[in-house]
Amino acid sequence: MLTEQSAYSNRWRRITPVAKGTFSLCGMIAAFSCASSTAALAVALVIATATILGAGVPILCYLRIAVPALFFLLASGLSLAVSVDFSSTLPAGTVLRLATSELPRVAYICSRSLACLAALLFMTMTTPLTDMISLLRRCHVPDTLLDLMTLCYRTLFVLSEATRETMVAQSARLGYSTLRISLRSLGGMIANLALQVWQRSQALHLAAQARNNDGALRFLEPDYPDAPRSISIATAAGGIMIALTLALP
Amino acid sequence: MSESILKLEQVSYRYPDGTCALDRCSLQIGTGSRTAVLGANGAGKTTLFLHLNGILRPAAGQVCWHGTPLEYSRSGLRELRSRVGLVFQNPDSQLFSASVREDVSFGPLNLGLSEAAVCELVGQALQAVGMAEFTDKPVHNLSFGQKKRVCIAGVLAMQPDVVVLDEPMAGLDASVQRELLHVLDTLYTNGMTIVIATHDLDFAYGWADQVIVLQSGRLLAQGRPEVVLEHPDVAEELGALPFVAELTRHLALNGIDLCDKGYQPRSRHDLLTALGARSNQEEKP
Repeated sequence: MLTEQSAYSNRWRRITPVAKGTFSLCGMIAAFSCASSTAALAVALVIATATILGAGVPILCYLRIAVPALFFLLASGLSLAVSVDFSSTLPAGTVLRLATSELPRVAYICSRSLACLAALLFMTMTTPLTDMISLLRRCHVPDTLLDLMTLCYRTLFVLSEATRETMVAQSARLGYSTLRISLRSLGGMIANLALQVWQRSQALHLAAQARNNDGALRFLEPDYPDAPRSISIATAAGGIMIALTLALP
Repeated sequence: MSESILKLEQVSYRYPDGTCALDRCSLQIGTGSRTAVLGANGAGKTTLFLHLNGILRPAAGQVCWHGTPLEYSRSGLRELRSRVGLVFQNPDSQLFSASVREDVSFGPLNLGLSEAAVCELVGQALQAVGMAEFTDKPVHNLSFGQKKRVCIAGVLAMQPDVVVLDEPMAGLDASVQRELLHVLDTLYTNGMTIVIATHDLDFAYGWADQVIVLQSGRLLAQGRPEVVLEHPDVAEELGALPFVAELTRHLALNGIDLCDKGYQPRSRHDLLTALGARSNQEEKP
């Protein structure tokens, strides 16, 4: 929900997703072309600054969205930095060792991943999914996939509301008072939601027919003011970023 | 009544689970009229509406559009659905896209119109329901009433001749109901035929040109609201008389007759105006 909130309320909401997609893609290319950890960290910093200062995403919101991904990055980094030694002669047998010789490589991989993460966060925090779907449509992604994305995205909110309402109704009748009852209530809710998914899919099918649909879901593409200018600026900024990372040691 | 735009002749329909939802039901809807469909839950209102849009096909009998039996071919249904717009009771069952503008554009794009034409129609439809400022809002951030209005806009953007609304007032507060009524009145003034399913007797009595009462899938009565809704059998089926009709009747029994030369108050506003006019008359020497 935080990502949603930021995607709809940031300063760059009305900028064409083509421009934002281009900048994000350039960010990822820059991340992969970095020769050093410092350069990769610099790319991450530039993109994060663009998201926070340029698009106006509040820093706390940015951090809250980034934390789960950062946690995974930390876990992956640790698993790379620590090695398991099975040949130890110590009484404990197997020991964990910090692979000091691998640390520069781990730092390099993690910093590049961080830059890629910043580029993806830039895209998700500044672009609502409906805009992203229209961008994917321009990229000729198959209609079926896009229809599924559209319906899943919409249904996500409908079902999250249904889940909330069911949980409140269950709680009001002491449905979550003990662990055993909670498990039972949860099972009941999942069964009920499965049924609702089926019923709602039927209802959506009828609604589509009623509005003359006989195939792919077609929607009007959103309008973006000054799209060519935005794309040019994003391409130039992205290009400079890639050039600098190539120039940096 | 004016020439019928939609007509059901002895239509029967049975759901796969065996429920008989319509049973030899015959009725007609006049061009440019305001029709309210009443009946208890399960009386067949929604099934009737699904027949009007060609979603369901009668097991027996026929549905006629301007006197001609419907064609259930691909092109026939396409033509019908572009003329008859159906607004579902639950907005979450109708709204596909997470963006208001995109969802409203869904119907007209299915008609094969150009993007420029669709863009204009979407703007007009959202303007008509008072949602122009919400064009770029995500659907999930709208209130229930706003979602209902987006649903109506989604149908209006297809420029139908008939709009069929399944319980549009259900779940709305009084002020939103008033706003919605204003939207419907504007559409009616512009010549659109409007059919509404409702449980609100007072609304049907005051608003409709004709009412249709269903009972267990059969037509119980059809005609002008002041005739049909005051009939004892209908009042028994629906469980009450409209408030204004009941009060007018009570006042008449107590010597205050508000009905004059065929005029009969049908809404609270009519009733208050008639009472005011009467007291003014009495004050004059």
